[in-house]
Amino acid sequence: MANFATDLELDSALTLSQAAIGCEFQIRQVRGPACSQLRDIGFCEQMRVKKLTNGRNMLCTVCGTRLALSRDLADQIQVVPA
Amino acid sequence: MSDPSIKARIALVGNPNAGKTTLFNALTGQNQKVGNYAGATVSRKSGTFFTPHGHKFELIDLPGAYSLDPNSPDEKITRDVLIGDQEGEETPDLVLCVLDATHLERHLYLLLQVIDLGYPVVAALNKIDSAEAQGLRLDPTALSESFGVPFVAISAMTERGITQLKHALRHPFPSPPGRLWKGPAELEDAIEKSIKLAETKGETYPAASGLTAVADKGPESKEFIQKTRFEFIHRAVEAGLQRPNEDSLALTDRIDAHALHPVRGWIIFTALMITVFWSIFKFAEVPMGWIEQGQEALQGWVGSLIGEGDFQSLIVDGIIAGVGGVLVFLPQIVLLFFFISLLESSGYMARAAYLMDGVMNKVGLSGKSFLPLLSGYACAIPGIMATRTIPNAKERLATILILPWTSCTARLPVYTLIIPLIFAGALQQGLALFGIYALGTITALVAAKFLKPSLGKTEAPQFLLELPPYQKPRWTHVLRQVGERAFAFIKKAGTVILGLSIILWFLESYPKSDSDDPIVQQSESFNGQIGEIMEPVVAPLGWDARMGTAMMASFAAREVFRSSLAISYATDEEDGEEMRDKLTASTRADGTALYTPLVGLSIIVFFVYALQCLPTTVVVRRETGSWKWAIGQLAAMTVFAYLAALVVYQTGKLLGYS
Repeated sequence: MANFATDLELDSALTLSQAAIGCEFQIRQVRGPACSQLRDIGFCEQMRVKKLTNGRNMLCTVCGTRLALSRDLADQIQVVPA
Repeated sequence: MSDPSIKARIALVGNPNAGKTTLFNALTGQNQKVGNYAGATVSRKSGTFFTPHGHKFELIDLPGAYSLDPNSPDEKITRDVLIGDQEGEETPDLVLCVLDATHLERHLYLLLQVIDLGYPVVAALNKIDSAEAQGLRLDPTALSESFGVPFVAISAMTERGITQLKHALRHPFPSPPGRLWKGPAELEDAIEKSIKLAETKGETYPAASGLTAVADKGPESKEFIQKTRFEFIHRAVEAGLQRPNEDSLALTDRIDAHALHPVRGWIIFTALMITVFWSIFKFAEVPMGWIEQGQEALQGWVGSLIGEGDFQSLIVDGIIAGVGGVLVFLPQIVLLFFFISLLESSGYMARAAYLMDGVMNKVGLSGKSFLPLLSGYACAIPGIMATRTIPNAKERLATILILPWTSCTARLPVYTLIIPLIFAGALQQGLALFGIYALGTITALVAAKFLKPSLGKTEAPQFLLELPPYQKPRWTHVLRQVGERAFAFIKKAGTVILGLSIILWFLESYPKSDSDDPIVQQSESFNGQIGEIMEPVVAPLGWDARMGTAMMASFAAREVFRSSLAISYATDEEDGEEMRDKLTASTRADGTALYTPLVGLSIIVFFVYALQCLPTTVVVRRETGSWKWAIGQLAAMTVFAYLAALVVYQTGKLLGYS
């Protein structure tokens, strides 16, 4: 049952680059070559993130900090609506 | 610990932008020492302070780091000092961890890592006033209970809470809480075994070494440890921090809506840059006039004290003219550093990097290369050292190699001497200076595009940058930075340039000619002889022998170009206007004017591209770890500068300019 719930949640997850502007999300998973660097700067599982702009480099806030990151990096962050 | 009065050594650690340096300054005041870590060009800042109990402690300001898993050479130093791997550096007795209270959750990761190492720790909750203004309610007691270390709320900028922090740093230090989080049994077993192994090896910090060894086993174990730490932080923050519910648009958001806008952002950026360059010309005029007047008065006074002869000539025409000719540019250099420091301190610099990322990406670099390049406008050396924040090695090397093409302040004395020969009016001159800086920058970027693929295959640079909130400039910090740079410039004028001025005067004055005619004396002097050798080389650039000699001398330091011309043209006074009049009046053998706008352009182009700074070459060698890159860069830039000046002059002549 627990696995089913996790699968369902992961199905509804989207990458940060796909996420809509102005909405709050919770980071579900960080996976990819830069995951360690992303976690160090604050993009870690369970953190709340708000996306502010779209584009090649996007802006978002994590715990009140404003961060700019490229699309490649945003693709490595899976989020679910908060 | 060389000083026996020092009771203990405290390491200051924190994320970039946590306010570490401000706290370091607040605690140590003027009792600071700057050096270098062994085998690295990362500067080592340390200072001393007394606790309210009268104990003297040494405080070491470690480079800012997001975590102890280093992504850059700077972060590596912090990690190495803490785990005892840094050559020539003892491990500290206590770690003072600076946390930004407005971004607490993110900053706690580093704190947790430091606690894991087994150190006694004190946490400083900095920027508490900003956090309160944002409606954040922090509970230092709850945080202390969760982390097992004292939390002290402070504001390093206003020095609020500094006394309480000093009380918390009292001797004996709090006992280290040890690792606070627990993983599943399998992971705990692995950690335990690894710690035992480190103990048998006799490691200084077996707990730290054991944990690092497990984390380094593979990405999965590292990821697991990272996640477990963040879960712990998440729980601790829920107990110790209450956020406001409102979602209002803060000042930073309102400014960023314009400053980061794809169109308005660029307009603001360009307007700011033009204002900076215009101001350098406009506001420096008055203090430059004072320096010139002071120098004239000094020359007149010294001239009247010493009887006419070689000694008077050495003092008045050699030393005062040579050193004064460079010192007169102090106001412009101070202004440039002031603006760069102001933009950094207010938080705008990171926005400029964000805007520039698109442009930098087109040439294979990222916005992270922009900040070192911008520092290069002040001085190439801190710029080259700032490349250490670039995680990608190839991008870092490419940035170092192109960086001297961002015009540093040492070129300003040459530009500001020559520009008025071509343009009149402060606005035109300011725009010309902006154009010169743009020329260097554009060429540097184009060079990066061609250079980077030849440095080997590498993945595309990824952009990840923290944009700190806008804040009022920290004036003490700005003034301290400007003061340090001004002092360095004055020191250079008083040492290197003084020495070179004496040598240049000697070369100009000896051997003595039988004739009283200064022109004959000039041509028969050593300088005249060197000039004769140089003339065939520099003649295709439209230069005469004296300019050739000045150019050769300027390879020791660019500013000497101006001193050398001042001495060559035997200007009695070091008045910029008068010197320009002399240059304008000087003619070639056929009677045509020597310093035409075209020749001025050729000189400027040469100086934009030539790498005439030996300290830069030494720093490039240290940062790249190879003479090959340093010498290659020097040779390539000199040849390029010569060819560029040649093309400018010869094309100009073909188009009918003289």
